[in-house]
Amino acid sequence: MSTTAPVKLSLPLAYQQDIFREIQEEDGIVIMARGLGVPRIITNLLHVYDAAGDNLVLIIGADERENKWIGDSLVEQAVISKGTKARGLSIVNTDAMTVGTRKKLYARGGIFSITSRILVVDMLTSLINPEIITGLVVLHAERVIATSLEAFIIRIFRQKNKDGFIKAFSDSPEPFATGFSPLATMMRNLFVQRSMLWPRFDITVSKSLEGKKPEVVELEVGMTESMREIQTAILECIEASISELRKTNSQHLELDDWTVDSALHKSFDVIIRRQLDPVWHRVGYKTRQIVSDLTQFRELLHSLLSEDCVDFNRGLENILATNTPKPGTTRQTQAPWLFLDAAHTIFTVAKRRVYTGDIGKGKEDAADGIPAGLVPRLEEQPKWAVLTEALQEIERDLYVNSMPMDTTNGVTLIMCSDEATCRQLREYLQHMNEQLSNERYDSDEEKSQDEGKASASIMLRRKLRSYLYWKKDSKKAFATLFSEQDKQLGPAEKRGLEFHCGRAPPNKRRRVRGGASAAAGPSRASGGAIVIPDDDSNHVAQLATSIQPNELEKCVKQEIVDDPMENMEDYYELFDLKDLVVVHPYDGENDEHLLEELRPRFVIMYEPEPAFVRRVEVYRSSHNERNIRVYFMTYCDSVEERRYLSAVRKEKDAFTKLIREKSTMAVTLTTDGHGVTDPQEQFLRTVNTRIAGGGRLIATADPPRVLVDVREFRSSLPSLIHGRNIVVVPVMLTVGDYILTPDICVERKSIKDLISSFKDGRLYNQCEVMFNHYKYPMLLIEFDQNKSFNLEPFADMSAGSTINNNDLQSKLVLLTIAFPKLRIIWSSSPYQTAEIFEELKKNLDEPDPAKATQAGLEEGEDAMNIYNQTPQDMLRAVPGITIRNYKDIMVQIENMMELANLEEAEINKIVGKEAGRQVHRFFNKDIYE
Amino acid sequence: QKINRPTGTSSIIVSARQKGNPVLTYIKNVPWEYGDIVPDYVVGKTACALFLSLKYHRLHPEYIYNRVKLLGHSYILRILLVMVDIENHQSPLLELSKTCHLNDLTLILSWTPAEAGRYLESYKSFENAAPTLIQEKPKADYTSRMIDVCTSVRSVSKKDAVSLVTTYGSVRAALNAEKEEIVLIQGWGEKKAERWEKAAREPFMVRK
Repeated sequence: MSTTAPVKLSLPLAYQQDIFREIQEEDGIVIMARGLGVPRIITNLLHVYDAAGDNLVLIIGADERENKWIGDSLVEQAVISKGTKARGLSIVNTDAMTVGTRKKLYARGGIFSITSRILVVDMLTSLINPEIITGLVVLHAERVIATSLEAFIIRIFRQKNKDGFIKAFSDSPEPFATGFSPLATMMRNLFVQRSMLWPRFDITVSKSLEGKKPEVVELEVGMTESMREIQTAILECIEASISELRKTNSQHLELDDWTVDSALHKSFDVIIRRQLDPVWHRVGYKTRQIVSDLTQFRELLHSLLSEDCVDFNRGLENILATNTPKPGTTRQTQAPWLFLDAAHTIFTVAKRRVYTGDIGKGKEDAADGIPAGLVPRLEEQPKWAVLTEALQEIERDLYVNSMPMDTTNGVTLIMCSDEATCRQLREYLQHMNEQLSNERYDSDEEKSQDEGKASASIMLRRKLRSYLYWKKDSKKAFATLFSEQDKQLGPAEKRGLEFHCGRAPPNKRRRVRGGASAAAGPSRASGGAIVIPDDDSNHVAQLATSIQPNELEKCVKQEIVDDPMENMEDYYELFDLKDLVVVHPYDGENDEHLLEELRPRFVIMYEPEPAFVRRVEVYRSSHNERNIRVYFMTYCDSVEERRYLSAVRKEKDAFTKLIREKSTMAVTLTTDGHGVTDPQEQFLRTVNTRIAGGGRLIATADPPRVLVDVREFRSSLPSLIHGRNIVVVPVMLTVGDYILTPDICVERKSIKDLISSFKDGRLYNQCEVMFNHYKYPMLLIEFDQNKSFNLEPFADMSAGSTINNNDLQSKLVLLTIAFPKLRIIWSSSPYQTAEIFEELKKNLDEPDPAKATQAGLEEGEDAMNIYNQTPQDMLRAVPGITIRNYKDIMVQIENMMELANLEEAEINKIVGKEAGRQVHRFFNKDIYE
Repeated sequence: QKINRPTGTSSIIVSARQKGNPVLTYIKNVPWEYGDIVPDYVVGKTACALFLSLKYHRLHPEYIYNRVKLLGHSYILRILLVMVDIENHQSPLLELSKTCHLNDLTLILSWTPAEAGRYLESYKSFENAAPTLIQEKPKADYTSRMIDVCTSVRSVSKKDAVSLVTTYGSVRAALNAEKEEIVLIQGWGEKKAERWEKAAREPFMVRK
C-alpha cells in the first residue's frame, strides 16, 4: 500500500487512498458521492489515531448504527495491525452514565462517540477539557448549520483549542447546493478552510471503478392495467389538491412550473410544506389537511408499487376509516379529496384487484374459507414473475457451473427498500421455492409453470382471509373509537394476561419457523379467543372455517429464506452458502458489510437505489477475483423510476454547483472561535458599576452568565447566548428554563409549545411555581427564525361576534389577568432572544447555580433525577394523571408497560381511588367489547 | 357570582387622547366611553392599558416614557399594548421589553388595529373570569386520550395510533407488544416500532 502511515490500512482503491492522504494531512471537509464508502475512510483515519494511543478523538454527529460500524471496524483493524495501544471506540450516548464515570473515561483518552447534547454540556461544565482534545471528527457535516449543537461544540472547541484537528465528512452533497454560498457558510460553521469534493464523475474515482465492472442485467417491468389506472387517479387527486392550495394560498406558493409530471419525481409535499412554512401557524385547517393529504398521496404512490393488492386495499380502508367523520359533525372535517371522482376510482380499482362481489352476501365456501359471494381476483405484482424468472436463470447457471471459478459464495442477494417488502418477498419465495422443487422432480415444464402461478395465489389467498377477518373486527373497533360519544363503560372487565398475546396480528404466524401448518396453530387459537360470547354462532362458525388452511398451504415448508441479521450463525451451520437466497433491505453504509460478508455471486435489486449501485461497483473493484452479476428491476414510467433518475441527476447537479463555488470562493482565515468582541465592552464589564451600600466601585472579573436547563440544549438558544459572550452554565432546573439574574426566571415557549401548554394547563402551573421562587418570572414567546412574526388571527373577528374564549390570544389575556406581574417577552427569533437576554441582565447580579437547582424541589428530592421525556409525555396524557400525581407514579413505577399491567388496587395505592380507576380503565378498556 | 362583581362600570374607559385611534372602531362587543383617566384605557377595576404604535414610537421615542412616568405605580395589571406596524421591529421591541421589565408592565403585541381592539374587549369581558380555561382540566373522551398517549411517541401519527390499538384491542396490550409484531401492522415501519417499544419500556426516571 502506498500510505506513509505506520499502521496497516485497508484502502484498496486509488481514490480512497487519495482522500485519506488529503484529509489526514489537513483539516477540511470531505464531500463524497453516496455509496463511495465514507465509513472506510473514517475508520481508517480513526484507526491511525487509535493505534497511536495517547489521543482523545471525539466523533460527533454519529447515530447508533454508525457507532456500531465504527466500533466493529476499529476492533477489526486493531486485530489486523496488531496494535497494542488501540483501545477501540467508547460510546457516550445516554444520561444514565454518571458524571463521574464520564470524567474518568475522558481522562483515559481514546476514541469517543458522544451524543451532541451530552458533549456540549460536558464541555461547558469543563467535565471535558477542550484543550486536551486531539481533534474532532464530524459525521454528517451537512447537518452542521449555524444554530446546530454541532456548530456550538466546534465553536467551544476552537475557542479553547487552536491546534486540534477538525475533519468533517458528508455523503450528501444536495444540502450544500441550496442557498447563498452554502459551501462557504458550512465551512465557516465547521472552522475549516479546505473542501475536498469527490463526485462519482471524478477522474480518479471513475478510473478506480471502471476497470472491473459488474455484469448488469436491466429488467424493465410494466405495470398492470389497474395499477396504472390507480396511479393516474392518484395523480389526478394530487393535481386537484394542488389547485385547491393554489386557490387559497396563492400569495405564499410559487407553483408556476407545476406539472403533474413533477409529482412523479419530486418530493412535492416537502416543497410545498417548505413554501408554506413561514406562515404555517396562520394557514387554515383546510390547507393543513391538504398538505397532509399530499404526503399521504406520495406514500400511496409508493405503496402501490411495493405492497401487494390485499395490503394496498387494506391501507386504503384504514385511510377511509380514520377520515370518516363522527356522526353529527359536518363534512368539512373530512379530507376534501375523498369527494373526487378519482378517489372513487382509486378505491374501486384497488378493491377490484383483490376481489369482486360482496363479502356480506352468501355463505362461506367451506373448502378454503373465502365466502362464496366473493370472487377473488388477487392480482399479482408484475415484479414477482420477473423475480421468479431471474431466480430460475440463476438456478440454471448454478447448475451448469456449480463450482464457482472465484471466491464468491454463490449466494443470491435480493435487495429491496424496506422490511415490509422483504417480508412480502420472503413469503412469496417460500411458495416459489416449493414450486421449484416440484420442477426438479416433475419434468413437466408446463404443469409447473401453472403451479408457479397457483402458488403465488396461496399467499394472496391467505392474506385475503386474514383481511376479511380483520375487516369484521375492525368495523367494531372503528365504531367504538369513533362513535359520537364515548360511552361510559361499567367497571372494566378483567381479562387474563394471556389476552394480549392473543391479540397479535393474525398474520404473525408467518414469522414462525417450521411448517406453516404448525405455525398457524397458535394464531388460530387466538382467533378463537377474540370472538365475543354474545356474537351469533354463525359468525363463530364462519371464523372457524375461514382460517382453515387449504391443502396446498399445508404442504408448504418454511424454506431457507429469512433475515440474515437476526442470527447469522445459524446460516453457516445449517445451510450451504451455495444455495442461500438472502432477502435484505437497503441499509445505508451497512450494505457494504453485507456484501463483504456474504460475497454474493448474484444480486437482484428489486427496487432501484443509486447508492447501492455504487456500493456494488466499489465492492467489485476492491476484489479482483470476485465476479458478480446484478439484476436491476424497475417499473417503467413509474414513480420509482423517475425518482431514481432524479436522485442521480440531483446529486450530479449539486456537485457541479459545489465545484463552481469552490473555484470562486474567497477564503476567510479565522480560526478564532470568539464572536466579535468589543474591547471597550470587555473593559466596562470588569468594572461593576452597581453601587451597593458602601458606594464603592468593585472591580470584578466575573463574566456575565446565564443558567440554562440541560433540557434546553435541544434548542439553538444556548448556542446563540454563548455567541454573545455570555457564559452558559448548564444546570438541572425544576423551575423555569433560563435564569438570568437571581430574580429573573424565564420560561421559554415556542408558539407550538404555547398552544399545547395552554391546553393541558401546564403553563398555568409553571407560572404558579415560578412566582413561588422568583421575583420576576417571565414568559418568553419565541417565534421561529423563518416564520412570520405574527400570531394566528383571532378565530373570528367579524363585528358582533361574541368573544370566543378558545383562541390563543384569549388564553393569553386570561393568563395575564391571573398573573398580572408576569412579564411577557416577545421575540421574533432565537437571535433576538439572545439579544434581549443580554439587555435584561445588564448591570445586574449574576445568578447562583446552586440556589437555582434547589428551587422547586421537594424535600429529599434529588436534583440529579433525570426524567425521560417520551414516557413522561405519554404518562401525562393518560386520563386520571394530573400535574400533582404524575411524579409519584414516575418515582414508584418503572415504566409505561409496568403501569399498564398493574392491578387497579395497586394504582389506587399511589394516586388514590378515583384517579386509579380512571388510569386502570384507560389501559384495560377493550375496544372490541 | 354577582356578589363578587366589583361595582365598577361595565364599559371600557377611554382617555380623550385616544380620539381618532382606529382601534376604537374595533371595540364593538363591549361598550366604551370617554373618561378622565391617566392611562389610555381602563379595562378593569385594577387593570389599565397604554397603547403604542411602533410607527409613532419611531418618531417620538420619548413619548411612551413620559406616559409610563405619569402612570406611576397605580393599577395592578398594567398592559403596554403595542401595535407592530413597522418591518424593523427588533430594536424597538428590545428596548420596550427592557422598559416593561423595569416599570412593571405587561407587554402585549398586536399586528392590526382589529387585533388590538379585540385584546381590549377581551380584557374587559374577562375581567372577572376565573382562569379555569387555562388550568388543568378533566380530560376528554377515550379515543382522543388514547391518540394523545400514542402520539406522544415521536413520528407516531393519528392513523398509526388507531391501527395499533385496533390491532391489539387495548392500550395495555399495545404497550406490551413487541417490535417484531408491531412491524407487521400496516404503516408501522421498523424505526417507528422500535421507538414505540422503547417508549413503553424506557424507565420514567434515570436512577443514578
